Formats: sequence, structure tokens, C-alpha cells
Amino acid sequence: MDSTKLMKLREESGIKILEIKTDLSSYAASDLRKVLEDLLAEKVERVVVNLSEVSHINSTAVGALVGVAKRLRQNGGDLKICALADNLTRTFNLIGASSVVEIYESENSALAAF
Amino acid sequence: MAKSDIKFKIPSTVFYIEPIRAFIGNLAQSLGFSRKRVADIQLVLDEICSNAIHHGSVDATVGVKLQIRIDTHSLEILVRDTGSPQAGEKSWLTQERLSEIEENRSPSSERGHGIFIAKSLADTHEMHPNSVGGTDVRVVFGL
Ligand SMILES: Nc1ncnc2c1ncn2[C@@H]1O[C@H](COP(=O)(O)OP(=O)(O)OP(=O)(O)O)[C@@H](O)[C@H]1O
Ligand SMILES: [Mg+2]
Repeated sequence: MDSTKLMKLREESGIKILEIKTDLSSYAASDLRKVLEDLLAEKVERVVVNLSEVSHINSTAVGALVGVAKRLRQNGGDLKICALADNLTRTFNLIGASSVVEIYESENSALAAF
Repeated sequence: MAKSDIKFKIPSTVFYIEPIRAFIGNLAQSLGFSRKRVADIQLVLDEICSNAIHHGSVDATVGVKLQIRIDTHSLEILVRDTGSPQAGEKSWLTQERLSEIEENRSPSSERGHGIFIAKSLADTHEMHPNSVGGTDVRVVFGL
């Protein structure tokens, strides 16, 4: 079993868009980290993570998103996330991650923010 | 509902957290918890089980025990791991270590949010060293 199959990558005007189609408890969180680290290794600079189909996220997955956003910024890039369900927004707010990673209502607004 | 217990034992691999999370979600919903509260319960369960598996299961073959206690006005979850035999008698669970974890937590840190989440969302949150050298984490959610 491999949840990376539920993480779809595409590209629009030079920005990588990662669509997550699985809930992010610890099992999928480590796959998310792998996928994001592959992007770092490929020297990708701009990433949007679309969470519209995610109904659960844990601290490990939030940590992976925060960590990769920070590293991308060091190279002049960024990682932005979009389309969070209410409970995901609450988890980001509780951890404080919403002040570290930019969060957008929609994929288009996240793309436009680059 | 009269007091009743449900017990599970899962292998110490994160793969099993997802089905257990689905189960507790269904249960909490049937008991009448709000949507928001169901999501909180599921998140806390995920964090506690993740810790039991990542940090409290050096011997992965032993597994992690879960006890879910349903009472008239509450849902209680007890997660019991076996810890690391190498650590000997001394538990990781000291006031100093807990303060250190709390002080090191910042919004921009990649790790160290799990205990904070469990503590923030559960109505009661307790951690105790257990008799087998591991950790018992008990959380209660009031209905
Ligand atoms: N069941 C456990 N057994 C042993 N050590 C534990 C246990 N639970 C937590 N710890 C210790 O407490 C620390 C903090 O746990 P916490 O869940 O807050 O963060 P984390 O697991 O390191 O990262 P994450 O934000 O991904 O959960 C852990 O790094 C670990 O050292
Ligand atoms: Mg943890």
C-alpha cells in the first residue's frame, strides 16, 4: 500500500500543484514528506498544496508542510496551501502554523499570490 | 448509555491508525458528539497513537493497546505502549522533559505539536509511566 498514488502532481505556469486525495494521519504524512522532499531535490521553487479533498490532518503532516515551506523560502521560492476544510483550519490555527504558511481559499488565489 | 469498554490491540505501525481513527469517528458520532468534537477526538486519537508507535514502541512486535470507555456523559480513550526496554527503569516522562517539550514548541517548528494538541483539545489529558516501562495516555471527552 502506498498513499503517494493519492497525491497527484501537475504544473501550471511554472508552479507545481500537489493535490492530496487522502486523509493525512501519520501513515500518509510520511508519504507527503517524501513527495515534498522529492520536489526539493528536483529544485522546484514554487508549490501549491491543494487540500480540498482532505478531511483530517495531524501534526506530523502540518510539520512537513511548514518545514518544506521554510526551506523553499530560503531559495526564494514558497509553498502555499489552499482549500482547507474548517477542522483543518482549526488544526493549523491551534499549532500556529497559519502564521507560518500562507493559506488561500482556492487554488486560483494561491496560484495568483505567486 | 451504560458504562462499557471496547478494547483493541494494534500492531505498532502507523498504517493501523487510519482505520482506528475511522472507528472512533463513527463511535463518537453515534454517541452524539458534534461534528467539530468528532474531528477533535479523531485528531487526539491520531496524535496519541502516533506517539505510542513512533516513540513508545521500540519493540514493534508487542503492539499498542487501546481501551475505549463509553460512559453516560463521556468518551474516554486509554492508549498503552511498551516503551523502550533499553531505557531501563527510568521513564522519559519527567517534569523537566515535559517543560522542555513545551518550551521548544513554536508555530514554525516541524515537530513537537502532538502532546500540545492532545492537551488542548481533550477535556482531561493525563500521561503516566506504566508497569511495563511504557507510557499510558488517558484522554476524556465530555458529552
Ligand atoms: N508514548 C511516548 N513514549 C515515549 N516518548 C514519547 C511518547 N509520546 C511523546 N513522547 C516524547 O515527547 C516528545 C513530544 O511529542 P509530541 O507528540 O508533542 O511531538 P513529536 O511526536 O516529536 O512531533 P509531532 O508534532 O509530529 O507529534 C516526543 O518527541 C517524544 O520524545
Ligand atoms: Mg507526536
